[in-house]
Parts: sequence; structure tokens; C-alpha cells
Amino acid sequence: MWTGHLQKRMKRLLNRTRLAAAAATATLLLWTTPFGAAAAEKIAVFPETPYDGYIVYESLIVFWAAIIGLVVILRMKLKEIERTQSLGADREDKDAPLLE
Amino acid sequence: MNCPRLRDWLEERYDIEGIKGIALSKFVPEHRHDIWYYTGGVTLFLFILQFLTGMLLAFYYVPHVDFAYKSIIEIVTKLRMGWFFKSLHHWGAQMAILFLFVHLFGTLLMKSYRKPRELVWVTGFVLLGISIFFGLSGYLLLWDERAFAAVRVATGGAGAFPVVGGFIKAFLRGSIDVTGETLLRFYAFHVAILPLVTLALIGLHLLLVQFHGMSVPPSLEKEKLREVPFFPNVFYKDLMIWLVVLGVVVTLAVLFPPEIGVKADPLAPPPENIKPEWYFLFLLQTLKLFPGSILGMNGETIAILTVSGAILFFFLIPFLDRRSARGERSPLFTWIGVFYLIYFLVMTAVGFLS
Amino acid sequence: MKLKFSLVTRRTFLNTLFFGWLAAFFSGTVYALMRFAFPTLGKEPDFVVLNWKDFAHIPPNSVKPFPWGGTVGLCYRKDDGSMIALKGVCSHMECNVAYKPAERRFYCACHQGWFDADGRNISGPPPKPLETFVITQEGEKLIIARKGVKVELPKA
Repeated sequence: MWTGHLQKRMKRLLNRTRLAAAAATATLLLWTTPFGAAAAEKIAVFPETPYDGYIVYESLIVFWAAIIGLVVILRMKLKEIERTQSLGADREDKDAPLLE
Repeated sequence: MNCPRLRDWLEERYDIEGIKGIALSKFVPEHRHDIWYYTGGVTLFLFILQFLTGMLLAFYYVPHVDFAYKSIIEIVTKLRMGWFFKSLHHWGAQMAILFLFVHLFGTLLMKSYRKPRELVWVTGFVLLGISIFFGLSGYLLLWDERAFAAVRVATGGAGAFPVVGGFIKAFLRGSIDVTGETLLRFYAFHVAILPLVTLALIGLHLLLVQFHGMSVPPSLEKEKLREVPFFPNVFYKDLMIWLVVLGVVVTLAVLFPPEIGVKADPLAPPPENIKPEWYFLFLLQTLKLFPGSILGMNGETIAILTVSGAILFFFLIPFLDRRSARGERSPLFTWIGVFYLIYFLVMTAVGFLS
Repeated sequence: MKLKFSLVTRRTFLNTLFFGWLAAFFSGTVYALMRFAFPTLGKEPDFVVLNWKDFAHIPPNSVKPFPWGGTVGLCYRKDDGSMIALKGVCSHMECNVAYKPAERRFYCACHQGWFDADGRNISGPPPKPLETFVITQEGEKLIIARKGVKVELPKA
């Protein structure tokens, strides 16, 4: 019934449909079968995406910067109190008169 | 702090000057071994860190045998930075116990236990036992196969004690075997009982240290040493060291988060080459040295009794070391201390490598 | 330009630096802690999707509950066969309300509050009526939405 020209196009269409149907079935079967229940899944104990990973490392660096900053400031305070102590100026004079 | 009104309000009601006087009267001697003074503070800091991270994790952990493992997976996968707080709690525990041992052997070798500080040693020793139990009970809460096997061995070993063994084992396990009952009561210990006892004992331990002042090693006792006020000089140094320790713990927690093991199965055999936490390795190796039966008696019982005897001797050192109590040099006990230290290190290493 | 005298004392400078830095450090830490401790402050949904089959055959003068976020909603079939959906939570102190078929009213047992068949508060402490929802049926699904909300279903 189909003329030769149309016949070729029809065949091509049918083949493509068959291919698509095969692909769809394969995909469906592949993604619906559970992946071996016996295989232990590895639970992620660290953020998985590289983006989140970099955020974590960056935060660690900022954290260390904060710690080092605090240690430096504490050393400054320590040096200052040692300086006043060596001058003998760290004690409040109990008998100093009040400035009214 | 510059809040004169607040200060006046408090001074009208409380003896602020008196408190300040007490705080400023604490002095710390300076000498070539004074770095050991900081070990106690670091241990305290790490335990406070454990309290804080533990409280956070307690918001989400479920201590029921069917939900424990799942709740941990939820914490690690679903909550924001859950993996980090769990990792921080894990590494905080490792470091706390490490520094606890450093502090223990430091005070042993510096002979800080000698008269009049025997009770400081006693309270500290009880705290050591409590900390080990903290580690064991906390570890079971993971409810993975390694923790399960470790607790089975530990409670089974406790059961080998003559007379009281069965009672101790039943009390710890809550059942014939390690079950959900064990999990629940270990949780009660870890979260309620041990923290309260620890707080009380640390309070007493610190109070006694304040009362007695800092101990000076016997070799330097006769010398006139420069004394530095605790507030603020040594306190600032404490803070600096604590900050660095915090940095180290956080770095370890970020770079080496612990893996989640396989869920515990009471019916399955223990996994291959299973090992307990590192601070138990020396005990395990010691038990392995003993043969199955000695002169017809149960080898395990003999092993437990020997180990207990050694620990008891260790505990009684302040009372046995008469020469230190008199203020004399006591090289015998220095060597005993060194022996204990080397034994501990070697056995831990052997346990690690085998 | 060199000043003859310092504007602040060494002590003030050091203390400000220290406590300021400490405040910044702690606020970061506390922020992380809070995000962990308060994970999702629950928000009520704008709409819920249910199966039409479960609610199609409710007998007249009766009520079927459905989950509305973390609380309960009630699907109410009146005597005349029409169906409305209301939030099953009292507007007074958020106790769950019950339907009394004999009186054809909703009753809150906590403080003896009463609502009529349309959810209006008629007796007792409740200050406002029960919240009513818009019911739409889309094929097999029953969609219950808050008033004024445009329902956008995700394309499967």
C-alpha cells in the first residue's frame, strides 16, 4: 500500500520507535533494580560536593586565623602586665585619698 | 570591665574585694619543669569541650537499640555540620584521654602525689577510672560491631573477677548478654551519672589543689624559686595553650572524621582483627600474655587479679612511697614510675601493631 | 602627625582588642552551634496533596483528619453533602479540637471552647474561628490549600 518513498520513511520511523522502546525499557529496569542489598553503602562523613568541601577547608583557615589572633593578643596582654609588674605599678594603693 | 554601677551593686551585697584577694593570692612557682603544670588545665579544658559537644549530640541521639545507629546516621547526614560535631566529640575524647595520661604520668614522675597531696592523687585516680568508663560507655552508643565486641570483652572481663565478677557483669550489662538494656544503661551512665560524679570530683580535686598550692619536684624543693601570680600571668598562658589545643582538636575533627562502622549484630561473629580503643590496648596485650590455665587455675582470673593488683599498687604509691612523704629523694619510686610508663607505651604500641 | 598623648590607655586598647576579637570568635562558634541545635524551625505548609480516594466517601456529619505539616487538619462532610477543610487546632491555646456529631459543633476540651459547623468560635475562650482551607480536586489528588495560595504542583 505504501509507495516506495513513504515506505522508507515509515521503516525509519518504526526502527527509531523500536530503539526508543528498547532504551526506555533498559533504563527502567536498570534504575528500578535495587543495587545488591548485601553491598554496604558508604555513609558520607564529610560533605561530598567539592564546593562544600572547600567551604569547610576555608572555615578551618579562618578558624586558625582567629585562634592565632587571640594568642597574639593574649601575648600582648601578658607582656603588658609583666611590664607593669616589673615597674611595681600593678597594685592599687590602698591608702590613696579619694578624688572627690 | 568598666561597669561601675554593676560593680557597686555587687559590692553592696557580696565581698567582691575578698574574692579578688583570694584570686590574686594564688602564686605559681617558676622552674625548669613548670611546663607540667599546664597538663591538668588542658585536660580540664578538653573535658569541658566534651561536655559541650556531648550536650549538642544529645539533642538528636536516640539511645534505643533499634534507633541508635539510625539516629547517628541522621546526625551525620541530615543535620547542618552534624558530621563535624560528632567528629569533634570523637577527637575531643581521644585528646582528653591522651592528656589525662600525660597529666597522670607527669604527676607520678614529678612526685606531686607525696605528702600532703595524697588526696589530690586519690581524687585524680578515681577521675581516671571514671574517664575510662566515660570512653567505654560513650563508645558503645555508636552501636557498631566494633563497639559491641569491645563492650562484650570488657564486661566479660569484669565478670572474671572472683566473687563479685558475676554481679558486676550483670550490673553493667543489664542482661545476660550485651543488649539494648546495656545500651540504655551505658547511656544513663554516660549522660547523667558520670557527668555528675565527674563534676563533684573535679570540684574537689581543684579545691584541694588550690588549698595545697602547686607542688614542686623534690629536687627543686630546697631552692628559692621565683613566684608568678596566677591571675593574670599564668591564666593568660593557660588560655593561650587551651586555644592552641582547641585548634588542634578542631583540625583533627575536620581532616579525619571517623567513619561510621557496620551496625552491631548480636548474632554475628566479631569482625576480623578487632581491636578496642587505643587506651585499652595495653590491658588487652597484658591479658594475652597469660596462658589459659596456670597450675590448674583459670588463667583469665589470674590475669585479672594480677592486673588489678598492679593497678591497686599504682593507686597506693603515695602511701607506699615513704621517702617522698618525708621529703627525701626516692629513686626507687621514680624507677617504678618509669617502668609503668614504659610498660604502658610499649604494650599500647604492640597492641597497635599486631 | 604624631600625637603628644595617646588617645587611649594601653589597658583599654588591649582589652578592647581582646574582647572584641573574642566576641567575633564566639559569635561565629555560637552561630554554628545554633544552626546545629535549631535545624529547621518548622513552617506550616502552603498546601498539602492527598489521595482523593481516601476522602471521597466520608459519611455526612463526620470528620476525617489529615496531616497539615506538623499539626492536624480536618476534612468535614456536612449534612448537605458539601465538604470543607479546617485546621483542627483551637485558636486559643492550640489544643486539638474534636467534632461532636450530635451537636454538629467542634469542641475544644482544654478550656471548653465551642466552634460551629463553619468553624466560627461561638462559646468559650477561643478568640478567632478555626482556619478554613480551600479544597480542590485534581484528578486522583485532593489538594487542600491555604486561602489565597497559588498551588504549583511539581511536574513528575
